[in-house]
Amino acid sequence: MTTSTWQQELKKCVKCGACMAVCPIYRQTGREEMVARGKLNLIERLNDEDQLPPGWVEAVDYCLLCGACEENCSKGVKITEIIADARRRQTEKLGLNPIKKSAFYLLKNRILSLPRFLKIASLVQWILWRRLPRHSGLIRRLPLPGFDDKTVIPALPLQHLDDHLNKRQTSSQLKPVLYFPGCATRYLFPYMGLDLLYVLEQLGFQGIVPKELNCCGIVTWGAGDLKSNRELQQRNLEVFQKHAEIKEIVTGCASCAHALKEYEGLPEGCEVLDISEFLFRNREKLEQLVGEKKLEKKLTYHDPCHLRKGQGITSQPRWLLKLIAGDNFVEMQHPERCCGAGGTFGLAHKKLSREILNEKARDIDASGAEVVTSGCPGCLLQLTEGAVVADSQWQAEHPISLLAELLREGK
Amino acid sequence: MPELVTIRNQLIEELKESGFNQEQIIAADESRACYGYDATRQTADPMLVLLPENGLQVECALRLAAKRGLKIFPRGAASGMSGGSIPSHDGIVISLTRMKKILEIDQENMIATVEPGVITGELQEVVSRLGLFYPPDPASLAFSTLGGNVAENAGGPRAVKYGVTADYVMGLEAVLINGETIKCGNKCIKSVSGYDLTSLLIGSEGTLAIITKILLKLLPAPEAVKTSLLAFSSMTAAAHAINAMFKNQIEPSTIEFLDHHSINAVRDGLPFTLPEEADTVLLVEIDGTTPGVLAMSQKLKELFKDDALLLIEAQNESEREQLWIARRRLSPAIANLAPHKINEDIAVPRAAIPEVIARLEKLSEKVSLPIVCFGHAGDGNIHVNVMLDKDDPDQARRGHQAIDEIFAVTLELGGTLSGEHGIGNTKSAYFDKEWSPATIAIMRAVKQAFDPDNRLNPGKIFPA
Repeated sequence: MTTSTWQQELKKCVKCGACMAVCPIYRQTGREEMVARGKLNLIERLNDEDQLPPGWVEAVDYCLLCGACEENCSKGVKITEIIADARRRQTEKLGLNPIKKSAFYLLKNRILSLPRFLKIASLVQWILWRRLPRHSGLIRRLPLPGFDDKTVIPALPLQHLDDHLNKRQTSSQLKPVLYFPGCATRYLFPYMGLDLLYVLEQLGFQGIVPKELNCCGIVTWGAGDLKSNRELQQRNLEVFQKHAEIKEIVTGCASCAHALKEYEGLPEGCEVLDISEFLFRNREKLEQLVGEKKLEKKLTYHDPCHLRKGQGITSQPRWLLKLIAGDNFVEMQHPERCCGAGGTFGLAHKKLSREILNEKARDIDASGAEVVTSGCPGCLLQLTEGAVVADSQWQAEHPISLLAELLREGK
Repeated sequence: MPELVTIRNQLIEELKESGFNQEQIIAADESRACYGYDATRQTADPMLVLLPENGLQVECALRLAAKRGLKIFPRGAASGMSGGSIPSHDGIVISLTRMKKILEIDQENMIATVEPGVITGELQEVVSRLGLFYPPDPASLAFSTLGGNVAENAGGPRAVKYGVTADYVMGLEAVLINGETIKCGNKCIKSVSGYDLTSLLIGSEGTLAIITKILLKLLPAPEAVKTSLLAFSSMTAAAHAINAMFKNQIEPSTIEFLDHHSINAVRDGLPFTLPEEADTVLLVEIDGTTPGVLAMSQKLKELFKDDALLLIEAQNESEREQLWIARRRLSPAIANLAPHKINEDIAVPRAAIPEVIARLEKLSEKVSLPIVCFGHAGDGNIHVNVMLDKDDPDQARRGHQAIDEIFAVTLELGGTLSGEHGIGNTKSAYFDKEWSPATIAIMRAVKQAFDPDNRLNPGKIFPA
């Protein structure tokens, strides 16, 4: 957005207050500076200041970029873009937060993909953290700065998705689609990627995963680091261009799909699809494959913000869950409410993120589900932590893993 | 008098000593200004903002402010449409958004006890899980607070059958400007001991006391609701239809109307086709027991099968939602007609609606500005929107002329300046057009009794 366009955007806000009804941060804090209407007021008034006051910085920082306000805004103000742009100006004036800076360095240089890195990191992890008894994920053994006794971190796998793919063989009879796994799936949850590739194969598609793919860039966008964002986009676009004959790019990560759909300069005729959209498009075949089989677990569904508010996808994941679980799929109260993860928000503002999560956990508890599903690895990690915090039994799973489980049954 | 900054710093120290924590005191320049606006888009910069968490903290804040003679501006969600919560630069905003506990739901007596910061829609959601119903439904119910609703006596589409906020308030606890708490009302259905202070505080727009606790009457939730959309060839035909409903013992819970400007603004993209000659649309809801609703909606269909140009009845929740789309899209849609709008919420006796609409039509021609009307036909509350470009001085002048005449017509027909938004500071200049000097004098005397130094929400209701 250019300066003049977002100044026009700011003027569109009539301060009606509708954003207060849906903002997860306002719900917890009750503070006007924390809700879109207040943030926009701050940004508008202090736009030209050289010294950004602490209240401005805090307000701009305290945003999950979940997009709930934008979805609920009758004036259609592009609030998340205004916030991201404000963060850009903040970054230009005050520099990037050192934690984010080093995280982006890791992502941009794909340090996680170095074989030795994961192995060493994984070893360190097993010294300091222990496995959770009932859930996937780890919890600290000893007091550690920044991690309380309920903070769940993902268990780093010894092999990432690329290692698995080296050993995998697929038939060349299948129709190729480009699979964009995203960093979380690639390095932290490779089994989700394998599940997705398995489902694709069952449907007659081969998921091509180019090794040179980079981070989609959404975290750099959210942090206002537009330079890194452009760099990452450019690198991915080059990869897409190399495979320009493939017209469908699928991903199982809500955030990646949201980011990729905003890319300018995708190869001609090429489109990005969230896996739920892709499966819905191939529903006849999938319905045949599933047949009468049903999962015997009670499921519920949490709408990832980047799927629902970012891409308007709500019905396809529900169609899928009904297909695989029938009446065992139940809705929780407020499935659309953010879980409080918000990319790096949960790391930076643990207490607030936890308060938002507690409410989500109560809604999941009340649904009586054994498994809460969500099409976003970030949400899944946060929801697992929710189960630990609430001392609940439910698991958090990607719908694609449950579908793979059902399709593998009896094979 | 020492400077505001010095006073503020001393006050903050005392507040902290009295138990206010850092998060409850907003003193930074940039943050305070986020408590200076409401939905009227006025802005102001209060000297300090406090977010008390209970009645005792409200008492404490008011006592400390009283020592220094400071002005106090209570604030709920600040979604008000008449500037009721706008502060002045030398006043303290008391924001009640953190007092948001539902203290009790007494199912035997069907009464909820709540703090003022509870969101209206949240109370409705909680009581509906118990099979109960809190009917008042202002358009802002998803974010407005019950304290604000009581202070403004908010209403909504359901008022035609269920009344307004005042009809549900059984009792209040409120803090006076000197920091003392008063209680009025109780859980008794019959209660005639002394003056009815509860009624006095309802709709007082934060000028008499700060409400800290509310007792609200609840009803059993209706079993069923049926929504229909009817189109008519003229406003008069629609008005006759409304009268016919009541004459035939049909008691809708909602009758919303859209005039022809409104229809044209939303016509494209509706999930159903409106006939070209449709001039007025009514959205009618009937609720009650399942057989009762069925019988009444049958009657409605028979009654209007000849007169209505179109009659659609929603068969399920998603169809119901589709019928409401026309009404919900209205505000943003009419905003596209002109850069600005002046929005008034006059109310007239129900039977006077066609007359008002006809007169406003003529007025629109006279001032050559579009005047869009929609709203709650069932209870006579009309949202009148004069569409204009305020940056054009001539249009601005004609806009003001239009408002003067709208109020004049309304009062002439036995109506009132405001059906549900309140007077605030946006309509106070017209206040003496509605009430006689003697009436205003007695109202001022009441204000004086509660707030002798005029420190609680000054500048509201009464003309300057």
